[in-house]
Amino acid sequence: MTYKTETMLWMAQRASAAVLAVCVVVHLATIIYAVQGGLTAAEILGRTRGNAAWFAFYSVFVLAVSVHAPIGLRSICSEWLRWRGASREFVLVVFAAILAWAGMRAVLAVFA
Amino acid sequence: MPREPSQTVLDVVTYIQRKLDPTLAYRFACRVGMCGSCAMTVNGVPRWTCRTHVDKVVEKDQITVGPLRNLPVIRDLVVDMREFFDKWARAKGEFRGRQTKADDFAKVEPQSAPRVLVDKGIECIGCGVCYAACDVVKWNPDYLGPAALNRAWTLVNDVRDEKNLERLRAVAGDAGCHACHSHVSCTERCPKHLSPTAAIAGLKREVTKAALRGDL
Repeated sequence: MTYKTETMLWMAQRASAAVLAVCVVVHLATIIYAVQGGLTAAEILGRTRGNAAWFAFYSVFVLAVSVHAPIGLRSICSEWLRWRGASREFVLVVFAAILAWAGMRAVLAVFA
Repeated sequence: MPREPSQTVLDVVTYIQRKLDPTLAYRFACRVGMCGSCAMTVNGVPRWTCRTHVDKVVEKDQITVGPLRNLPVIRDLVVDMREFFDKWARAKGEFRGRQTKADDFAKVEPQSAPRVLVDKGIECIGCGVCYAACDVVKWNPDYLGPAALNRAWTLVNDVRDEKNLERLRAVAGDAGCHACHSHVSCTERCPKHLSPTAAIAGLKREVTKAALRGDL
């Protein structure tokens, strides 16, 4: 990995962290609101289905997680396991893809 | 070991070598906190032994003294500092001015923002305490470490230096400033009360700016 790529990864992790800071607060506030209001699952789905704003928000949330988590895991792999090189990068790209796929699958299930 | 008033850990080590075990190897020079050569691990913490009073660190009439962490031990309390200083060179820690001796002296306002930043880090004497305190050095042996990065930061802010971009490239990435987790151990332990953590954060900012400009 060149210093340029490393720098871009660091910037991506910081930028995704900033997005996640907002997303997590909104997400938690939404959960607390939904629980306190006594909403049923059907009522929640009634609000989320077809709601473009909700879909956009959670798509951004999932994307940010898919960027943020593998980069953090990358440092843990090198520092704790001494695992570097192409095999690590490959596994982390697969991990990012799984996070994005599983996350978007969940978002679509509640939106569509 | 007889206790003396104002006894330092270096006094203890010296007593051991002179009275108890003449084979004991350790390093010291100035004895007054100027040279930085007597740094050792005292009760698990890297310190200048000449400036550490026994009274401050003794626990149940015992102190444990060892070599600095993260550096190869040559013998007893003496570590090999080569890698530590090689990393200063790898971080482009040497000044390269753009003026010749035919030019007049460069004028740097003492209160100018870059010079104030230089002042905050320039008093490092290369004792290796921060390097021994750093967990990232332990986990990632290629990591340049707090002292080398602090040195690079003082030069990044030196308006006379012309090596800036080259230096930013040298300190970016996995072995450089981006590896720092901001644990702040270096800042906590620095006997000169410098903040390599702040210097490394500054490098991260400057590298980011250079990357966004497309210069990196």
